[in-house]
Amino acid sequence: MTQSSISLSKAEKSYIQAGLLCDPPHRTDGRPLKAYRQVELETGVAHLANGSARVSIGREGVNTGGGTEVVAATKLEVEDLDDGGIEGGRIICSVSCSPAAYPHLSSSALEDLQQDMSIVLHQILAHRTLHPTNLGIIRGKKSWLLHLDAIVLSDSGNAYDVMFMAARAALWDTKVPRTRSVEYRAPKGSKSAVESEGMDIDPTVSGFDTRQLSKATDFELPDYWDEGEILDGRERWPICVTLNLVPPVHYLDATLQEEAATHLRLLLAYSFPTSSTSTLQGVRLLGPGELSFEATKSLIRQGEKYALEVFTSLEAKLRDEDFRRYQKAQAKFSRTR
Amino acid sequence: MAQTGSDRRRIAGPEESKPPIFLSDEQQLHTWKLGDPRQGRTALDVRPIFLQPGLIDQANGSAYIEAERTKIACAIYGPRQSRNVPFHDKGKLNVEVKFAPFSCPQRRAPLRDAEDRSLALAIYQALVPAVRLELLPKSTIDVFINVIEADGIDACIAAGTTAASTALADAGIEMNGLVASCSAAMVGNEVWLDLTEVESRSTTGTLVLSCLPALGTMTSVWQTGRMTTEESFQCMDQCQSRCTDIHTIVAQALRENA
Repeated sequence: MTQSSISLSKAEKSYIQAGLLCDPPHRTDGRPLKAYRQVELETGVAHLANGSARVSIGREGVNTGGGTEVVAATKLEVEDLDDGGIEGGRIICSVSCSPAAYPHLSSSALEDLQQDMSIVLHQILAHRTLHPTNLGIIRGKKSWLLHLDAIVLSDSGNAYDVMFMAARAALWDTKVPRTRSVEYRAPKGSKSAVESEGMDIDPTVSGFDTRQLSKATDFELPDYWDEGEILDGRERWPICVTLNLVPPVHYLDATLQEEAATHLRLLLAYSFPTSSTSTLQGVRLLGPGELSFEATKSLIRQGEKYALEVFTSLEAKLRDEDFRRYQKAQAKFSRTR
Repeated sequence: MAQTGSDRRRIAGPEESKPPIFLSDEQQLHTWKLGDPRQGRTALDVRPIFLQPGLIDQANGSAYIEAERTKIACAIYGPRQSRNVPFHDKGKLNVEVKFAPFSCPQRRAPLRDAEDRSLALAIYQALVPAVRLELLPKSTIDVFINVIEADGIDACIAAGTTAASTALADAGIEMNGLVASCSAAMVGNEVWLDLTEVESRSTTGTLVLSCLPALGTMTSVWQTGRMTTEESFQCMDQCQSRCTDIHTIVAQALRENA
């Protein structure tokens, strides 16, 4: 139900559409139809989050404004299974849009927009086929609740793709704290025993000894210096490509003006669990327009190609970021010491 | 104890509720395993549909759809004048989906939990390309969908869409064609259509397709979960052929009611 966030006159719309349809196609910024603007990515931007990333697309230069910018961060919360939690943990995604990014929208329209974006993000990322295996803490008692929050700081088109990139980078960056289950056993003096559930065993006396836990197990964090283990299945998180459709052509990475002049968008979320396989993780058709079946199928096939390109470069950048933040930082630290 | 801020005139009901588990359901669930043929119907069958337009007198148009345990009522009000909004040269379609408290195994608390925007969004997308909103400037059409009983959330979207398009036709609102909708899912390597709640627990990916069978175009494709490209095409093909049948049912129901 999203209206485009800026209003454009009919003349401007037809100018943009005519440009896209002519041969060779013309876009206002001189890009080819299937080209993305420059993407910038940085992970680890929010220090209090378990994982975070900032992605921007189409900024005019370093440290300048413009472009679409999304910050995504994950935050883990301990949740009891009796009040709301489910076995093995769960994921909740939400999107908030800064009013500064959408000055034309009223507050209620902005609310609708962020709800619609949240729904798409949540339905695709929180699906059980993508669920990581290491979000459980104590079987039958406690689990992690992963909040993924994305904030759209500025929007100059293609917010969905940028949002999914930021979400993927934040989830990639997420570290789950290592936990160790603690159990109190009453007999044999008053010594406690520490039981581990698939975690590393360390029979040291824990701080929970004083508490007379009957049989109920709790958990502790073995060490606070280490950031924890990587969230499982981080290769699987999908990325999204939005195909903007002006039949018979389609183009990628629309600017805000182009978005307002395009009625129909096809969102395709692709996941590449291994380098050779690809799976579809979500398809959404948005906007008032119709498509023929053959056109849709060929669009989905072509979308896979674009998605692979985006995925490959994002993957390379993420590994590069990991290297920058962990190995280079370590080397620098050991030098100064 | 009524919560502060809640509706005092309403009986709040218990804070939490647990659905009863019947022995017969349990047994049925346990005997089926992945790879077995589908119980009760074949993989490409949809549940038998009962569709009745014009059930709600005070609405401009309405429809009631029932497919075994999926029961949905839809009412259309309008087109009416949009208030408090700037000029629009196209009409506005406003879709609201509400669940009855007793519609799901888990109770859906009134006000707090009754509305589902994700369903409304899916149904809106399925309908909006079909309705000729350019003929209705400055106006709003309200589509109220009430889920009386839900059995499978994707089936709910599909049934809701079909009911809403029937109701729109019943209200005499101009459309490019009747929208028919069908849901499909991958169970193992097979395509199953119109899944129930129990069946949908063993799927890896689902797809809801809405189309205008009269024009051979589609208005919405809504896929979640894991699917290969080829599997999604299979699902789309099966949905498309079933939508043609559903279209016949809609047309028949409208003709009988006229």
